[in-house]
Amino acid sequence: MKQHPLCTDTEQMPDALNPAVPAEIKRDWLTLQTRRHFLGRSGKVLGWAAIASLLGGRLHGDAYGADTNGRPGAGAADQLKLPHFAPHAKRAIYLFMSGGPSQVDLLDYKPNLAALYDKDIPDSVRGAQQLTGMTAGQARFPIAPSHWGFKRYGETGTWVSDLLPNTGRIVDDIAIIKSTNTEAINHEPAIMLMNTGNMNAGKPCMGSWLAYGLGSMNDNLPTFMVLQSKLNTKENNQPVSSRLWSSGFLSSEYAGVGLRSVGDPVLFLTDPKGVDREVRRKMLDAVNEINRQTAEELGDPETNSRIAQYEMAYRMQISVPELTDLSNEPKSTWDLYGPEAKEPGAFAYNCLMARRMAERGVRFTQVYKRGWDMHDNLTGILPIICGETDRACYALITDLKQRGLLDDTLVIWAGEFGRTVYSQGGLSPENYGRDHHPRCFTTWMTGGGIRTGITYGETDEYSYNVVKDPVTVRDFNATILHCLGIDHNKLTYNFQGLDQKLTGPVPASVVKGLLA
Amino acid sequence: MIIRQRPPTSFLERFLPKSTIARIEWVAAIALSSLLILLPWLLKLDGRPHADWQQFLGRFHPLTVHLPIGFLLLVPLLEIVGAFRPALREAAALVLGLAFASCLLAVTLGVLLAYGGGDAGPGVTRHMAGGIALTIGALLCLLARPSWSIGSVSYIYPTLLTGMIPLLLWTTHQGGLLSHGSNYLTAYMPASLKRFTAFGIAKQSSGSFYAKQIDPILDSNCVECHGEEKTKGGLRMDSFDQLMKGGKDGPVIVAGDPDRSVLLQRVTLPPDHKHFMPAEGKPPLRPEEIALIKAWIQQGASPSATTLAGVSIHEDRPELPLRPVGDYSALMPEIRQMEQSQGAKLIPLSAKPEDGLVLYTVDASSSFDDARLAQFLKFAPYIVEAELGRTAVTNASFDTLKQFTHLRALHLEETHITGDELAKLAPLSQLTYLNLSGTQVTSKAVSSLSAMKNLRHVYLYNTPAQPATTTRQAEPVARKAQ
Repeated sequence: MKQHPLCTDTEQMPDALNPAVPAEIKRDWLTLQTRRHFLGRSGKVLGWAAIASLLGGRLHGDAYGADTNGRPGAGAADQLKLPHFAPHAKRAIYLFMSGGPSQVDLLDYKPNLAALYDKDIPDSVRGAQQLTGMTAGQARFPIAPSHWGFKRYGETGTWVSDLLPNTGRIVDDIAIIKSTNTEAINHEPAIMLMNTGNMNAGKPCMGSWLAYGLGSMNDNLPTFMVLQSKLNTKENNQPVSSRLWSSGFLSSEYAGVGLRSVGDPVLFLTDPKGVDREVRRKMLDAVNEINRQTAEELGDPETNSRIAQYEMAYRMQISVPELTDLSNEPKSTWDLYGPEAKEPGAFAYNCLMARRMAERGVRFTQVYKRGWDMHDNLTGILPIICGETDRACYALITDLKQRGLLDDTLVIWAGEFGRTVYSQGGLSPENYGRDHHPRCFTTWMTGGGIRTGITYGETDEYSYNVVKDPVTVRDFNATILHCLGIDHNKLTYNFQGLDQKLTGPVPASVVKGLLA
Repeated sequence: MIIRQRPPTSFLERFLPKSTIARIEWVAAIALSSLLILLPWLLKLDGRPHADWQQFLGRFHPLTVHLPIGFLLLVPLLEIVGAFRPALREAAALVLGLAFASCLLAVTLGVLLAYGGGDAGPGVTRHMAGGIALTIGALLCLLARPSWSIGSVSYIYPTLLTGMIPLLLWTTHQGGLLSHGSNYLTAYMPASLKRFTAFGIAKQSSGSFYAKQIDPILDSNCVECHGEEKTKGGLRMDSFDQLMKGGKDGPVIVAGDPDRSVLLQRVTLPPDHKHFMPAEGKPPLRPEEIALIKAWIQQGASPSATTLAGVSIHEDRPELPLRPVGDYSALMPEIRQMEQSQGAKLIPLSAKPEDGLVLYTVDASSSFDDARLAQFLKFAPYIVEAELGRTAVTNASFDTLKQFTHLRALHLEETHITGDELAKLAPLSQLTYLNLSGTQVTSKAVSSLSAMKNLRHVYLYNTPAQPATTTRQAEPVARKAQ
């Protein structure tokens, strides 16, 4: 403790900034989730010592973070009593199609629209739907039938666009949901809603909830990993930000760890020249020791998270090169995923990585593919992006299936919303654009716990409104949690006076029709 | 008391009525019988519904029809017991009169029901004929009884009465077939009995969508009234050909056009609508049944197509009775200690201890060998899944693994096992999933697993045992248990 220049008796003098805190209170601090939590409970006007004497024993928290060895908080799952029931899926792979794929051109087949080319969509169908600023000023809403033909695939004879011939080959193995719908109409709120259950930033995303609730199966890799696919500049790429894999108010050790799409998958993972592993270890030990002292002094659990993250990074120095070393993949892998899978950052490469992570016990892998936002030149761009993703999706499902991983891996394919049946801007027989459409969009799931070979929900003949079995974002996420053995109403975290949960305060329900 | 008189000399003299009143009775009886016999021709059942009042009254037929049955069975009983207690024999005369009256009522209402409601078909005809025959029989009994009771003709009445009983049984059975369907009595007959009777012979079911999905729906909801026995509205739905033929008002199915198919229109009306089907308060079709019929019509109403686009039939496989594991809570400290020393994790499958533990070895992987596995033997009764993929375990591990008797899933992918001793896993009766991908197991070794009844998924990707894959698509090598 620093001596006050005017004080000779340091041991007795109370100091508002650096109080003498009893050891037992410090232990309490260590168990607290965040410092803000502590302050929120105790009030800010009281001095530290006063707080200590007033609240002492009541500060035992409901919180736990990483243990001091830096192991991810396996303890959390133990204390949360999770999974609530025996899960079908132990892990999940979420293929996020950012931008809003056009359901009308891909999986929601509407043959009747051909006859309605350039006719206005009836006002009765559109109802009071809010429009984006991009089409709100349009005088007409002319129907743009899909430019592509559809064919039937599989034993189920499911209609699939000619843009997705490979997806067609797995229709019997997936559950297509045509009635997914959202409340948000712009990218950022919609994508936040899909990922965190709330349009506003600051809430933990699905992967963080899972990491927090279920813990790790592999101590050498993060529980939650994010793979961004590299950009194709021909496409209209909406930004995705680290808010989407943020742990929100949960400890930051549950945040997603991203692998870069270009260069080293993780920056600065390789030790600089002249630094061997032993030197690195010693350095980390020293840093950890300082951090431990800080944690003891200030009681901020984020300091413990930092220790854990340093340790994880140290282990990742070994595990990530092994993970990303594809030299042992057999030829059949490349035959299946295609040559693109050899390019780091390609969507196909990320799908292959997702399979490798599933094999290595990563709990939740989210692959982002941007570029589905097609306000104009849809017929120019959609074939490109389908070409990038179609075979890879097929390959991933087929690969998981042949390796026996699909039994306990949940795979989700979804964007943040759909696209309008009417054209944005000019409509010609050759080209058109489509605006954001929240009322219905098509997603699919497969794997552990999902009833495959089905189409769930129906839209009207304009692919505008859901007419049967609507699936809200809440229901969608509740269903995902269910497959992983979690009751969405029970995985909660008290923050800002609410038992926060992924599905939010509005009642959500598991979509039983999607379950095996 | 019955006073036995000397019988008159000739048969006719003895039997035929002597008084004028009795003669009038006979004439009336003959007239009534003729009327009854002619009834099917007078009111021809054309399969079309008629006046509502007829249906209204007709629907009291099931209510009244049980009266004559009771009476007709009671009469012979009273006559027999009457031999010892003469008072009962006097009651028999009254009961016989009631039987006749109630027969007449039931027949009248029955005819109104069939005619008014548009019922037709051989079953209806048989039941009607039986009812009429019973009524005439009761009438004849009524006429013959006096001469029997005074002892002048001793055999006509007993013969008639005896003959009535099989007739009664046959007629009532016909009625039962109409109201409950032809398989009502045999549906729950024990299989062993069915084998010895002809009842077990089910409809020839081909693999077509119609036979597997549509026909059973019609069978359990429609055929009762639209079958061979009872054919309301002239419509039979008990076979594909009959169904497509339609009813009196034309076809009920327009292939490819569900909206114009009367069948679908009728079942989707509001349930309180006059034309709603199934009629008469029977439970409506379930939405998924309607959806199946709709999809089937939409896609051409084919008798032979085996699958329909967009329709997948989820065949429920019965869940295995899982053997719950014991409570391992007390062992948790020891389990934690194991994790520290062995680098492998034992994680509860769920918060319920009876769901068991999962053994994860991914942290230790290449250093996790047979000896380390053996360390976990202590927890074997609680381990339901063992993830040993990419570890250093070898064939020697089978001796340990066979003691993991609660194992449901076993991962051995990309290990050094060769499968020679795979048969040692036979005691794992709960095992449903076995992943051997990327190992050197041969198909011969795998065949030794065929005795494991619960084993549903065996993965052999990238092994010598992997079946040749087509060039188009690498097929999963999941094997269903035999």
